[in-house]
Amino acid sequence: MMIRFNFLDWVWLGLYLTLMTGCGLLFYRLGKRSEADFFLAGRGLPWWIPGISVYATHTATDTPMWVSGVIYKYGLRGLWYSFFSAWCAVAAFVSARIFRRSLAYSQAEWQSLRYGGLGGELLRGWMSGWGTFLNMFILGWVSMAMGKLCNYLFGWDNWVGLVIPSIIVAIYVLSAGYWGVVMADFQQGIIAFFIIVFASLWGVKAAGGPAGIITKLNTLGESWRLNPFHFSGFFGGDFPLAWFLTMIFIAVLGGFGMGTSIDWYAEAQRIQSSRTVRDAAYSIWWGTALTLTRNSFWAAAIIAFFVLYPHITDAQQYEMAWYRIAFEQIPAGLAGFLFAGIIAIHFSTISTHLNLGAVYLTRDIYHHYINPEASERRLVMAGRVATAILLLGSFIYGLMMEEITRWLIFALWIMGAGMWLPNILQVIWWRFNSWGYLSAWIANLGFSWLVVWILPAFGVIPELPDYLQFWALMVLTALVYIPVTLLTPPENKFHLAKYYAMTRPIGWWKPIKQEALRLGLIKEGGGR
Amino acid sequence: MNRGLFVVLGLTIAYGVSFLGLLLAYFSYRRRKGGR
Repeated sequence: MMIRFNFLDWVWLGLYLTLMTGCGLLFYRLGKRSEADFFLAGRGLPWWIPGISVYATHTATDTPMWVSGVIYKYGLRGLWYSFFSAWCAVAAFVSARIFRRSLAYSQAEWQSLRYGGLGGELLRGWMSGWGTFLNMFILGWVSMAMGKLCNYLFGWDNWVGLVIPSIIVAIYVLSAGYWGVVMADFQQGIIAFFIIVFASLWGVKAAGGPAGIITKLNTLGESWRLNPFHFSGFFGGDFPLAWFLTMIFIAVLGGFGMGTSIDWYAEAQRIQSSRTVRDAAYSIWWGTALTLTRNSFWAAAIIAFFVLYPHITDAQQYEMAWYRIAFEQIPAGLAGFLFAGIIAIHFSTISTHLNLGAVYLTRDIYHHYINPEASERRLVMAGRVATAILLLGSFIYGLMMEEITRWLIFALWIMGAGMWLPNILQVIWWRFNSWGYLSAWIANLGFSWLVVWILPAFGVIPELPDYLQFWALMVLTALVYIPVTLLTPPENKFHLAKYYAMTRPIGWWKPIKQEALRLGLIKEGGGR
Repeated sequence: MNRGLFVVLGLTIAYGVSFLGLLLAYFSYRRRKGGR
């Protein structure tokens, strides 16, 4: 597939690029005032700005590819793969509020507020290093997707789409920091949402409208594709009920924790940049509602693509379903408009992770450990240097992404499975301590290699489906960190009482509440 | 560059940076403790 742009298309594109970078640059004077401005927009945003940013950040150029993959393969059941983000609906009223009250810049900083002493510091240091890597990796991942997409659409070499857009984004992220990111996200998110809806509905129309699509599916004998609850048995088949129940469990209970999903870290920055606790809750709730709405428009267009091209078996081909139906069906003269939407989708994700990775390097590594006395000017300077380091790291990971994706997805997956429960326990149970959390990390690392690769390779256990791996890793790591937690002393009670008074967590915190009352940090019967 | 080298480099950055953060935290904690 090759797109040829005419003069009008290039004009569209030029105007959009100017608008998008200009929108970020406008906030240069606000972003350079202080560390809090460069990373949190001074914690002064009304909910609808970070809300749109949550949505824009979680829409990347590879997102329609994987949504196309699952919808083309599983029909509307594939929508459940994107339902994991429903944890935000719970987190909005639980962990988002707790995190906003803690005033932590990053999850790493929160760790040192929740856990004290050496253990808390070790967790903060480890997590800020891991967060720096993780953002480089995500940047490399989405840049590579953009490189491939530009190759697919225009025939450019992969490196063009990988490097050039990131450099354009870096202009406003370096100068205006999070102010630039969130304001550019705001208009990019709105533009992208309307273009996604427009192109998707246009695709549905091209396939004969809803009635025409249903008729064609019946003729093909594929009408099961419209049933999102078409399970293949409890454990058997390609879409078992056990997978669905595990997904709902992870999604709903995950909202009680922090870090239960890889998306948490980007959400945490948006939560903390909100003006009030209530704004924080609304922003993450509405941002996720927009994300789930976006998925349903995509799904309709991908089902339309299926009735037009029902016999594609190669996953690499049908993953391009949404892009193909959008570009093939859009009226002439609007291809540049559609590509501007794709640029908006891409920019908003790149900008977020450039700035978020720089939070860990600046706030946690530089400000907390290296130079605690640094002036605001120096901190903004450090923020810019950190952003440039993230940009370089993204190119390194982007260029080798082809080769290592499987390994690093594994590294991320192990972050998810065994650490899911500790990430919840640390929010809702006062007795869980830093040594429990650290031992969970280490145990999880060992067990996941064993369960996923080593034991199946030696035939000790069969190769398990992903949802059974999740349960196995959850139980195995708990057998390590629960004893470690109970055999090591709890965190310092004064430290915990300060944390309690500040964040008012939910769950099992009674002894700490009594301590906070005794110290006079909170009053009996005092509301939130 | 071949695949094995990429895998080693990718994982080294991932765990190397994390471990450096851990060491930094440890020595900075010890220094502060000593200072008081």
